[in-house]
Amino acid sequence: RNSVNRPPTPDAAEDLGKEPMFQEIINIKLIESGEKERLMELLRERLIECGWKDEMKALCRAFIKKKGRNDVTVDDLVRVITPKGRASIPDYIKAELLQRIRAYLVQAAV
Amino acid sequence: MSGPNDDNMSPHTQLSSHFFGDLLDSIIVDVASECHRIAKLGLDRNLEEEEEELRLSTQARVRAADPSNSGEANSKYVVDIFGQTHPPVANEIFECMNCGRSIMAGRFAPHLEKCMGKGRKARLKATRSSTAAQNRYSRGSPVSTYSPYSNSSSTNRLSNGTPGVAGEEYSNGTLEEP
Repeated sequence: RNSVNRPPTPDAAEDLGKEPMFQEIINIKLIESGEKERLMELLRERLIECGWKDEMKALCRAFIKKKGRNDVTVDDLVRVITPKGRASIPDYIKAELLQRIRAYLVQAAV
Repeated sequence: MSGPNDDNMSPHTQLSSHFFGDLLDSIIVDVASECHRIAKLGLDRNLEEEEEELRLSTQARVRAADPSNSGEANSKYVVDIFGQTHPPVANEIFECMNCGRSIMAGRFAPHLEKCMGKGRKARLKATRSSTAAQNRYSRGSPVSTYSPYSNSSSTNRLSNGTPGVAGEEYSNGTLEEP
């Protein structure tokens, strides 16, 4: 008898990474161990040092000046800075964070 | 974030990218939220100054474009902080308490000068005039002349030049010493 809710078999390793349930489990591990917070602080610090945050704030200010500060929503600003924000992360920062995350996944025996 | 090369990535790499994207999105929301807060609370001084300058420049442009404004008119009809304009000469009209004429408020002081006898003409007017409430001046005697009660608010003038007592009222008019 096959259960409909049976989780995928472990050999489908590639698909596993995309499995939302699996990602959620890892996420919880990250949060509970405190590693997510540390990673976040590290990324925040790096992004401030390299001026990325200032660039984003400048984009926000320009948008606010145009639209008028009374009409602006947080969603507006998120929409404004997300494309440029994601694209303009310096490679060395991305590399450092990815390295840290992978190290965590390894030691968490994922 | 996850791109077109998903199949080539090891699961760890892909997972890492996923979580990196997660962290980045959170930080983006934080930055947006911070900027939003600063804007709403008016904490950005530069934004305030720019808004102020923008407003002043549009105001100035409106005023400059308005054809009914001439430079002279502007200087005379200055607007005070309550938004009121005042004509250059006070134009309320009332009755002079000395001669009974209708006088414009802004012209009252010069009128009083003539009316109450600072000048030659006024003194001649006083001795010759027969209207009620006019002062009488005796010729040469050291008399203190008290003005009738209707004039008590102004200074008194005497033919011999000595200063009289100001503000006293006598219902029977002038007082003369023998």
